[in-house]
Amino acid sequence: MTVDEIVCREFAELATEYLDGAMPDETLELVEEHLAMCDWCRDYLRQIQTTARAVADAAGPETAPLAPTLDALVDAFRAHTRGDGPR
Amino acid sequence: MDRDAPLLAALRAGDEEAFATLVMRYHASLKRVARAYVSTEAVAEEVVQETWLAAIAGLDRFEQRATIKTWLFHILANKAKTRGTRERRTVPFASLARADSEEPAVSPDRFQREGDAWPGHWAMPPRPWDDPERRLASLEAREHLRAAIAALPATQQAVLTLRDVEGLEAEEVCGLLDVSAGNQRVILHRARARVRADLERYFEETA
Repeated sequence: MTVDEIVCREFAELATEYLDGAMPDETLELVEEHLAMCDWCRDYLRQIQTTARAVADAAGPETAPLAPTLDALVDAFRAHTRGDGPR
Repeated sequence: MDRDAPLLAALRAGDEEAFATLVMRYHASLKRVARAYVSTEAVAEEVVQETWLAAIAGLDRFEQRATIKTWLFHILANKAKTRGTRERRTVPFASLARADSEEPAVSPDRFQREGDAWPGHWAMPPRPWDDPERRLASLEAREHLRAAIAALPATQQAVLTLRDVEGLEAEEVCGLLDVSAGNQRVILHRARARVRADLERYFEETA
């Protein structure tokens, strides 16, 4: 990384670190200078944020376990509750 | 806050519906994380079932110092590590992760090269997405997104699931997976960058 400025290719690697607020101050300053000037990197950053939100929304109840698995687990839970213990 | 806290009293009272809710809520995420440690889907499924059994057995001793979610992922990490070792897959998560994190987040040919007017700046910049929330709401888009996540290397799926699906803090994920803060962030960024590139293609194809 150059000392005095950040280019787009470098910012492309740093977006998550920036969003996590995990950057050392010197890097943060360079990143903010870059973002202030670069519409494209702001678009890229927004897309990374949209992606993270979309990932959260996509994991729906459709990914639930198969019914036999769920039944077996509920049986184990019932057995434990009645004091038989699961194993 | 722990959104599962209201379930706890019911679980301790032996409420089967509360237990089923918990399983439905976390089974898939637990499995994606397990998959990063063991060699097959089937073994990952077994590890998740062992996790649920251990959780049932430990429920009475659970002290709400962590959320139920974090507690479950801790049990899983322990079971999965043990299983990974027994499978002689002794490669630690951190070094698997390193192999996954060498590619750049964005393809190098999207940037200007040395000798161009602005080396390192975008040559093919991302085009702003038009109303992505609306477009992502369709069933087809969600299917597409789920397939993109499923295609990620296991370590990336594990970190993406813990951070972006389950909303765990970076430090919690480092603790669960035994990776450094820097490594965790690189893996997460690789995962997001790949899914972003996938969505970009999808939006362009369906524009």
